[in-house]
Amino acid sequence: MRRIAGHVVLGALGLACVLPIYWLYAASLRRPGDVHDQSPLPWPLSLANYTDAFAKTDITGMLLNTTVIAAASAVGQLLIALFASYAMAAWRFRGHRVAHLLFVGTWLVPFQVTMLPNYTLLARLGLLETLAGVVVPTLCSALGVLLLREHLLNFPKELLEAARMDGRSSWTILWTVVVPVLRPVLAALGILLFINAWNEYFWPALVLQRSNAVIQLGIRSFMGTEGNDWGPLMATAGLASLPVLLLYLVLQRQIVNAFVRSGLK
Amino acid sequence: MRRFLPMAVLLAATAACGLGSSGAAPDPVERVPELKPDQKVSIVLESYNFGQAGPWTDTFNEVVAAFRTAHPNIEVTAQKPQGNSANPATDTISSLQTQMAAGHPPDVVQLGFSDLDFTVNQLKAVPLDDMVGKDEVTKNFEGTRHPYAATARTLGDWDGKTYGIPFVLSTPVLYFNTELFKKAGLDPAKPPTTWSEVKTAAQKIKATGKEGVYVDCLTKAAKDWCFQALTLSNGGRVISEDRTRLTFAEPAVTEVVSTMRDLVGAGAMPNRTQAQALEAFSRGDLGMILESSAAQGSFLKAAADKWTLGAAAMPGFDGKPVRPTNSGAALFVFASDPAKRRAAWELIKFMTSEDSYKTISTKIGYLPLRTGLIDDPAGLKDWAEQNPLIRPNLEQLTRMEPWTSMPGKNYLLIRDEMMSAVENSVFQGADPVATLTAKQNELGGLMAEGGS
Repeated sequence: MRRIAGHVVLGALGLACVLPIYWLYAASLRRPGDVHDQSPLPWPLSLANYTDAFAKTDITGMLLNTTVIAAASAVGQLLIALFASYAMAAWRFRGHRVAHLLFVGTWLVPFQVTMLPNYTLLARLGLLETLAGVVVPTLCSALGVLLLREHLLNFPKELLEAARMDGRSSWTILWTVVVPVLRPVLAALGILLFINAWNEYFWPALVLQRSNAVIQLGIRSFMGTEGNDWGPLMATAGLASLPVLLLYLVLQRQIVNAFVRSGLK
Repeated sequence: MRRFLPMAVLLAATAACGLGSSGAAPDPVERVPELKPDQKVSIVLESYNFGQAGPWTDTFNEVVAAFRTAHPNIEVTAQKPQGNSANPATDTISSLQTQMAAGHPPDVVQLGFSDLDFTVNQLKAVPLDDMVGKDEVTKNFEGTRHPYAATARTLGDWDGKTYGIPFVLSTPVLYFNTELFKKAGLDPAKPPTTWSEVKTAAQKIKATGKEGVYVDCLTKAAKDWCFQALTLSNGGRVISEDRTRLTFAEPAVTEVVSTMRDLVGAGAMPNRTQAQALEAFSRGDLGMILESSAAQGSFLKAAADKWTLGAAAMPGFDGKPVRPTNSGAALFVFASDPAKRRAAWELIKFMTSEDSYKTISTKIGYLPLRTGLIDDPAGLKDWAEQNPLIRPNLEQLTRMEPWTSMPGKNYLLIRDEMMSAVENSVFQGADPVATLTAKQNELGGLMAEGGS
């Protein structure tokens, strides 16, 4: 009986989680005049909201830009996290504790505090209104560094010692010994960072003032003073969610692993 | 990141210093010379209209493109305000402040009238009367054939000087669902003109199983422009005429709040948020809504072939004249370079010209502030005949009163707190007199310290 009750509760919670996503796609597939309807089944179905969204905004370009930004940001964060955590875990050097605390510190500083300094710095570097301007300030992920550091601290020191005795350089050890062992962790973290970067909205909204170059800004472009254009907004949001949903379907186990390992998000 | 942090702290301090200096005395503004025939200038135009896809962005791009053709030496870069609000119009001030801190504010900015005091006294918008001369500003208002509506001309003025050229505005309009009216036995040709008539009509609609009326002027989300129209129409004010004293706890204002509270208590007005009410009206589940005329396009799109939209003037209190206020925005100049200032003025003149209003009105539906265009066969006569719903808004434009902005650096806090007290009284059952009095006393201190 308790098992059944448990399943019922879990089923209800599962439905509650899926319902907003279902509603998003259901609303996007209603006819434009039916977009305010509250019937659970959209009928008749229509793709008019999607064609409207494609006509009003450059969705293909935005999806492409978002992919570039998310991939560049995830790869950059992964590389920097790998180098930093390798240095902090494999060597004892003066100030390594301070370095660790600094990373923890940057993690604790809210985005709102660094927002304006980052913006003025980008202005001086001439990177406003560029995709690079969206990516560069995000390249160091304290989450990534701390997570990989924990994994590397548990890395068998004997393996590193043996590799050194074989005469391998630190650089070679990183790529031939550490990375192959850490591959599942790196894959999981990479996916997590990609999803975070894909969903990022606030920072691109500051940097990209003269265009809606990323899909999350494209969604907002259907909201405004004169009311919200729900049909194409839902269609764009549906398209924006699709790559991440597909990624989730294909790499479900790794993504769950990533969230469990990070224990944070 | 380690190298980045000290630099970030340093820059934050620099930026904070920059912002802190915004209250200093203004530099004297000299008359800017005309541009030479071969002088090339580039300027940046920031408008929240560029934040909204579809006709808004497309139409404004069209106007800017036409300007480039007319002024090939002036390059205009268009941008939306930066920020993450759902409505880009609410990001205008913070966006401008951020760009000022970074040292490159946009040259022409579209800002709301509620920010007028802050725009002039804190952000130091350039006084246009000094920059190009009072005569030239007046000449622009007069236009070639159709002058600005008299009530609209001074909306961007401060202490007798024109700082902003009013560009778009709306007034509160009572929109209604004619099908629900007929179903409730009401005559759509005779919509209610007073709040007591609104209550009766709303109760009749409620009896058919739909909701009656929503007054979108009573919440923090609605801001205070329309609430000011309600209070003025009952002979009250939320702030004294000299803007030194809050007066929203006086009987003429608390009566308004009590009347609205009574609509909720009697079941005539649903206890909903602004967003819920807009959705319900769009869906055809709400009989009437007092809303900004800016929402008309969205309502028409939602109604489509499902129901018919009706529009009427804002209702009044028995025996008292209705005094609608305006919402909307003006164009301000923040350029510091003389050539950019002149180019900015050329752009403002172009955007508020008769031709631009023809483009903007027909493609977005905004009311032309050069109202003579409405009766001009070569202007917008055809468009006005095809869009009879603009009439209440147009008629209110002739007798509207300015929306008074709150003073000082705390203006947004004062406005929001006042509207929270109104919202608590109308929708949460708090006692209007006690709640508004307590809030007025609490905010009195902010008024004293936030002088401009």
